[in-house]
This record gives sequence, structure tokens and C-alpha cells, in this order.
Amino acid sequence: MQNFALQRQVNQFRRIFQDPVLAIALLGVSLFVFILILLPLFSVIGESLSPKNAPLFQRYLTEPIYQNIILNTLVLGVLTAAVSTAVGFLFAFVQVKLDVPFKRLMHILALIPIISPPFAVATAIIVLFGRNGVITRGVFGVRFDIYGLFGLTLALSLSLFTVAYLTLRGMMQALDPALDEAATNLGAGKWRVFRTVTLPMLLPGIASAFLLVFVEAIADLGNPLVLGGNFEVLATRIYISIIGLYDTSSAAVFSLILLVPSLLVFILQNYIISRSNVVSVTGKPSGTPQYIHAPLVRWTLFGLCMAICLLIALIYGTIVLGAFVEVLGVNNNFTLRHFDFVLNGLGSKAMWDTTRLSIISTPVAGLLGMLIAFLVVRKEFFGRAALDFATMLGIAVPGTIIGIGFLLVFNTPTVWELPFFGPVTVLPKLTGGQAMFGGALAIVIVYVIRSVPTALRAGVAALTQIDPAIEEASVSLGADNARTFRRITLPLIRPALLASLIFAFARSMTTISAIVFLTTPQTRIMTQQILNEVENVRYGNAFAYCVILILIVLTAIGVLYLGVGSTTGAERAFQGGAR
Amino acid sequence: MNEGQTVRLRLDHLTKIFPQRGGKGNVVAVDDVTLDIYSGEFITLLGPSGCGKTTTLRLIAGFELPNQGQILLEGQDITHQPPNKRDMALVFQNYALFPHLTVYRNVAYGLETRGLPARTIRERVGEVLALVGLEGLEDRRPNQLSGGQQQRVALARCLVMQPRILLFDEPLSNLDAKLRVQMRSEIHALQRRLHITSIYVTHDQTEAMALSDRIVVMNGGRIEQVGSPPEIYRCPSTRFVADFIGRANFLPIELTARQGETAAFHLLGQSLRAPLPASGAENLVAMLRPEALMLRDDPDLPQVQIIQTMYLGSEVEYVVQHEDQRLIVVEHDPRNRRIFAEGERAGVTFVPEAVHLLGDGA
Ligand SMILES: Nc1ncnc2c1ncn2[C@@H]1O[C@H](COP(=O)(O)OP(=O)(O)O)[C@@H](O)[C@H]1O
Ligand SMILES: [Mg+2]
Repeated sequence: MQNFALQRQVNQFRRIFQDPVLAIALLGVSLFVFILILLPLFSVIGESLSPKNAPLFQRYLTEPIYQNIILNTLVLGVLTAAVSTAVGFLFAFVQVKLDVPFKRLMHILALIPIISPPFAVATAIIVLFGRNGVITRGVFGVRFDIYGLFGLTLALSLSLFTVAYLTLRGMMQALDPALDEAATNLGAGKWRVFRTVTLPMLLPGIASAFLLVFVEAIADLGNPLVLGGNFEVLATRIYISIIGLYDTSSAAVFSLILLVPSLLVFILQNYIISRSNVVSVTGKPSGTPQYIHAPLVRWTLFGLCMAICLLIALIYGTIVLGAFVEVLGVNNNFTLRHFDFVLNGLGSKAMWDTTRLSIISTPVAGLLGMLIAFLVVRKEFFGRAALDFATMLGIAVPGTIIGIGFLLVFNTPTVWELPFFGPVTVLPKLTGGQAMFGGALAIVIVYVIRSVPTALRAGVAALTQIDPAIEEASVSLGADNARTFRRITLPLIRPALLASLIFAFARSMTTISAIVFLTTPQTRIMTQQILNEVENVRYGNAFAYCVILILIVLTAIGVLYLGVGSTTGAERAFQGGAR
Repeated sequence: MNEGQTVRLRLDHLTKIFPQRGGKGNVVAVDDVTLDIYSGEFITLLGPSGCGKTTTLRLIAGFELPNQGQILLEGQDITHQPPNKRDMALVFQNYALFPHLTVYRNVAYGLETRGLPARTIRERVGEVLALVGLEGLEDRRPNQLSGGQQQRVALARCLVMQPRILLFDEPLSNLDAKLRVQMRSEIHALQRRLHITSIYVTHDQTEAMALSDRIVVMNGGRIEQVGSPPEIYRCPSTRFVADFIGRANFLPIELTARQGETAAFHLLGQSLRAPLPASGAENLVAMLRPEALMLRDDPDLPQVQIIQTMYLGSEVEYVVQHEDQRLIVVEHDPRNRRIFAEGERAGVTFVPEAVHLLGDGA
């Protein structure tokens, strides 16, 4: 059996190519990943490593001003990750381990950042706490400088703690309460149980949350643009290199410098998660969760949590209020001027374009994510792990870098000179002037790339909960892969699909870093218009955009709930009682 | 039963190798298995956990591809045919019902896949549901059914396809003991009535004996023996089979002569003859089932010491010490016999026709 491994692969491919639909799906997915994710990424890497850029590397890595930018990025990443993880932990702990009022409200407030556009929080923070801040100046009478590291950490943490919260809440719920019970029965006090049982089990989750937030924080463009002041980070540098200086070379070099920590941390995070089996301790926790009753602990944590909730409420209140008054804090007269601008005026095109493109990208991303999950979990083929990893790059790679990659690959059509056929356009021009569909296609693709990873993870998580024998039963009864996927798999992972669709739509509507280089005069995107309004200190318009954007996302969530359904049908019957 | 029967399925030197889970090296799950399955028969793959039964079944169903060998369905090579194209249906160990579909839709699923007209589907599903006693439950979902009912849906879902071969993977192992016996007899009755060629996997020898026309005993991926239940029980070809099917005592013999295919020997003070094992082994032992041994109050017989006595109503089970060996003796219908107490001595004898010779090493 020397050639056993080879034979196995031959057999695997035989299996896949026996089913044309499966073969086409796999081929399509591979092309998607290769052309739309890997090719742009490799172009950026290739461009940055070209010999003519060696002096740039030299400069950026040795000159203090650039070293400072790199350091700023890392410091911001670490601070944001630390604060976000702490806040996320607090919220998760209160949800899972404390019996206190307003838990539902806290949960909802913690989720708001998912649907909130970039700049919204940052702008509200400026209006509240800036030099002319409603609170800093208006209430306390100080001219506080919110621009810089402090303001950025605040804004980013308020946006990103959700990531940590969701990760940690999931893990805390998955922890088998029987474990806590066992430890308590052995005579350990609650605090000792927490320290010796709960915390060690949660460590991988805490580490993973920290790293996830770090990756997102160092990639963020929107907040540093608005709140950075003199505090420059790599993402803003890349932005200025392209938008201000049309200098692709230095943008590529900065990109690589940003890419290295992003990818390293992303790989480390994956490794930690793959090594820890906390989540899969038991599928269904048995026993009842043990709440912590010590009043001091309980009310201190509750108070902290409520204080943060209040801050969140204050910020989003500011956004809504700011949209309805002339200039919040300066001229508080009611007006619908800002909404008129967005709904009927110059701003309306961006609103429609963005919504339309998000509507197109959402089902593509959701279904593609489920399809890749199905292939990765259920099929055996060479390169399975690579497909999973490459898909995840769509979110692990900072958005600005994906944007530059698209500029590099798709700004000129790729034409192959074929014998007999003559020149054939292999890849059309998707970005810049005269781009296909006015650049809209590129934006839709980027939306999809950025949303598929979440859908993939949701799909994988859902599929691993489903006994593969159920799908095999379908095949055994004569259904091919396509029918099995449509009739059995997809309905069973419907909750994951719904979550993915909601997330995809929200992400598409709110993304900025990846599309900021791709918009054209023909295709306007709301987030970029918001940036425009903020930069021109027309906060009212920006807030109106934010409110409309949030309303659009909320509407979409409602429509998706009704259209897709949040249950598999299996539970519905269960709730129906019977017997 | 082999004569005059047509071969429905032929497994020809099948070998399946898996890479070791989470480690280096390979596992030979199915090792050079060759077997003919006849039309209409109920054949069981029996063996301890991990012996390759499920893998063999999955090779037949097409969920795995063999590393070597061929599978022929009515003479046609289907080794590489995808599972959905094979005219077979598999009843899974944990039923694998579609949890989001009603009983009716579960059973109709395969027919809908075939694109049959709705009326035909309705008729056939109705018939099958009646057959397995599920009328009136059409609109239930699987999680509203008891274990036994779920089992019936799984069966109905396969029966309705009228497959050329019905495959079962330990279908009763999730049921409680009483229900298991009941479903066993239902499956038995159904199969005898419908004459569907069935391949049944189990590790439960009683189940295998009760259901099967023929039993295939497997061990370590290989076939140890194929035969009807009485053949397997009375004349196991190896010690493994003898031990796995029921219980067995192995007694040393004093060989006096070998003549052609029979051997003459002394056993427990008696001289007798029995056929030599086919394997032609050098060292022989005599296999005696516990019920073939008898205890008598007779000082002329070889003496044993009673170690344990268990009264089970329909029988009494003894563990006795004979020289340096422990033996199990079962006396059926003990009403008219004296029951020996623990610590007593008794004479031991046996039914000569029940003696079966085996190679010692095998
Ligand atoms: N997919 C697989 N990958 C690796 N090893 C496997 C796989 N399936 C089965 N095996 C191994 O093959 C052997 C036979 O398994 P199986 O056919 O399931 O046995 P049985 O059904 O008789 O209990 C076992 O050692 C098992 O661990
Ligand atoms: Mg098995």
C-alpha cells in the first residue's frame, strides 16, 4: 500500500467529479477564493516587495516618524483589545452568571455596534466630549482634546467590544454548569470556583477575543480618520498615500507592514481556538447555571455594566438627536433639513446605491458561506483546509489592503493573447474610471468577500452540530448533493443562514475601509458620504445618514426574519407540544 | 439454501484502509472480504465493535470507496457508482430522520426525489405506513415520536423505495431491551413477507441468530465464518466464533488416531470420533456448549467441584472446576433434577454428538 495516500486522493476526486453540480460548486468556490481574495492579496505583497520599493522599506522601518506610526498602530490595537475584552467579559459575565434586572436591554445595547455605521460613534464622541463638547464644554466648561489615542481607544472599544462579548458569552454558556456544581460540592467557594475552574476554561476564549479585537482595531480606518488628530496609524497612512498622493508603492509597503501583524495574530487566534475544546465540552449543558449571589460582586458588576450601557445610550441618543437639530450643542433648533438632504437631496443617490448593492451582495455572501461550510465540513478533498483559511482571509486582511489589491488587479483589464482566438479579456476592468458597471461590481464583490468569512464560521458551527447521517440518508434515498444541500442541509442550518444574512447586510452597509478606494462618481456609498460630511463638519448630515442607515439595516433584519425564518422547523414542531 | 439461488450482490476481495484518526499510520477496517449475497436472503454481519461491519456496509451503500476489490450488483460492477445511484436503502443506527420534515414527508422524500407523480407517492406512502403500523401519525415530526416509532419511520422510509437491497446498521441498538425484542420480531416478519434482500449489521449475537438466514462472523476486518445460525452455533470454525456466538467450553482431548477426515480420541473418560476441522490444525481441542455438559450424582464419572450455582428458572447455570479448568454447565428444565449446591462434588458427562473439534491455536 505504498500509493495508498495517492489512491485516496484519486478516490476523493472521483467522488467529486461524479457529481457535476458538486464539481462545479467546488470549482466556482476555488475560483472565487483564488481570483477575488488571493490574487489581490498577492498583488499587494508582490507590489510591496518589488525591488524598487526596497528604499521605502528601509525608510519606513528606520525613520522615527514612521516607527511612530507603526508603534501607534500596535499600541492602539493592544489598548483597544484590552479594554474591549474587559468590557466584553463584563457584559458576558453579567449575562451568564448574574441574576440582575435589565439583562435583555444590556444584551441589545451590546449588539447595536454591529449595525452602526463607522464614524457614528466617533462623531458623537466629538460632539459630546470634544473641544466644544456638549458635555466637556457645556457641562464641565473644559476644552478637552478628545482627538488622539484616548478618544480612539474609547470609540474603537465601544464599537468592538461586541466581538469579545459574543465570543465570551458563547463560551461561558457552553461551559458545563455541572462542572461548577461539582467544584462547589467539593467545597470550593464561589470565588475559588471562578478562579480555579471557570477562568482557566475561559482563558482560550479571552485570548481569542483579545486577538480578534486586535486585528480589527489595527485595521480600522474610519475612527482614526475622524478622531485621530495627530495620532497617525498605518491604515490612515495607506489611505492618504492613495487618496492624497496617488502613491501606490508606499501604500503597498505600508500595507505589508500592516498585513504582517494582522495575519500573525489571526493565525495565532485560529491556533488557540483549534487547540481549546472548551466550546465542545458538551453540546447541551446539563444542570442549571449557578448564579453568583454575593451582593458586593453582583451590584458592583451590575453598576459598571449599567454605566457603560448609559454611555452607549448617550452616544446613540446623540446621533439621533443630532440628526434632528441644526447643530447640536450650538443651535438646538429642530430641523428636518438633514434628512431632506439624505432622502431627497444630493445624498439620496448614495443611500439607494448602497442599499441596492448590499441587497445584491447579502444572499450571495450568505449562500456562498453555507456552501463553503458544507464543502469544508462534509466533503473530503485536497486543499480543504486551505479553502477554509483562504476564505477567512477576506476578513483577516485589513480592508484597506483588499481595496489596494483590487486597484492593482482590476484597474486595467487582464487580456490574454490566445492563439486562434486573439486577445481575450480574462478579467475585466472593475475599478476606476470606465469600470464595469461604474465600479459597482467591484464593490459588491468586496462586500461579499468581507461577509463570507462570518457566514462560513456560522455554517461550520451549525453543520458540526448536525449528524452527517441525516445527509447520508438523503443521498441513500436517491438525492444528489445539490438536492440534499437544498432540501436537507440548508433548512437545518437556517438559523445560521439567517444570522449570516443579517450580518452580511449590516457589514455591507457599514463597511468603509475596503471600498473607500473603489467608489466612483457613478457609484456612491453612504459610508463614504458620511466621511465626507464629517470632514466638512456637517455633523447633522452625517447623523442623518447614520440614522437612515441604521433604519435600513433594522428593516432588512425584519424582512430577513420573516423571509428566511429563524427556525429549522424541527423546533417549531417541538414548541407545538403534541403528545 | 445456496443452491438454485441467484447472486444479488457480490463482494470481491474488498479492502478498505483508513488513515488512523488523529495519528500516523493506517487502519485496515475491511480486509480482503469476499462474499456472495443471494436474492431474498437476510444476511447478517456479526462481530465485536470495530471489526469493520459498518465500513463493509458503507462500502456496499457507496459512502466509502474501497482501496481494493469490486462490488457487483447482479453482475454489474458498481464499485465506483455514487451512493444515490445505487438501488439500495440504508436504515441508520440513530435513524437519521429528517428532523424538519413530518413523518409523511420523511417517507415520501425518496419517491419525490425520483419525481414520481403525487398520487402514486400518496398511495405508496400510505401502504408502507400501514405496513409498519404508523397510520395516523403522518403529520408528526420526528421529535414528537417515541423511539420505536422513529425506528418504524426509518424503516418505512427505506421500504417505500422498494430497493433491491435493504441495509441495516445496528438499527435496534438505541431501543430499550423490551422494544428491541419486539422490533426484532417485526423486522423478521416483514422481511419474510416481503422477501427483500437484506444485509443487517449487529454486534448482538441473539439478534443475528433470530433474524438471519445466514450469518457472517467478522473479526479484525476479516470474515471468520459464514453459515446458517445452526451451522455457526454447532460447528464454529474458530475459537473466536465459538466464543463470540454463545458460550463455549474448550476441553483438551487425547488423540488416538486420525483417519481421513475424522479423528478418534478420548474425552472426559469416553472414547469417541468426530470430524477433523477443515483447517487441518495440529493441536486439537473439543468445543462443548454449556448445555451439552451434564452433572450427575455418579462417582464413576470424572469428578468436578461446584464453584457457583445460579438458578434462572428455566435453567440452572453452574460454574465448575474440572482439574485445572473452569467449565460452564447449563441444565435446562431443572424441575426433576437435583440442584447441586456450591462446594459439592459431582460427576460430569456430555452429549457425544455435540462435541466439535477445533484447532487449538485458531
Ligand atoms: N472514517 C474513518 N476514519 C478512520 N478510521 C475509521 C473510519 N471509520 C472506521 N474507522 C476504523 O475502522 C475500524 C472499523 O470500524 P467500523 O466499520 O465502524 O466497525 P464496526 O461497525 O464493526 O464497529 C475501526 O477501527 C474504526 O476505528
Ligand atoms: Mg458500527
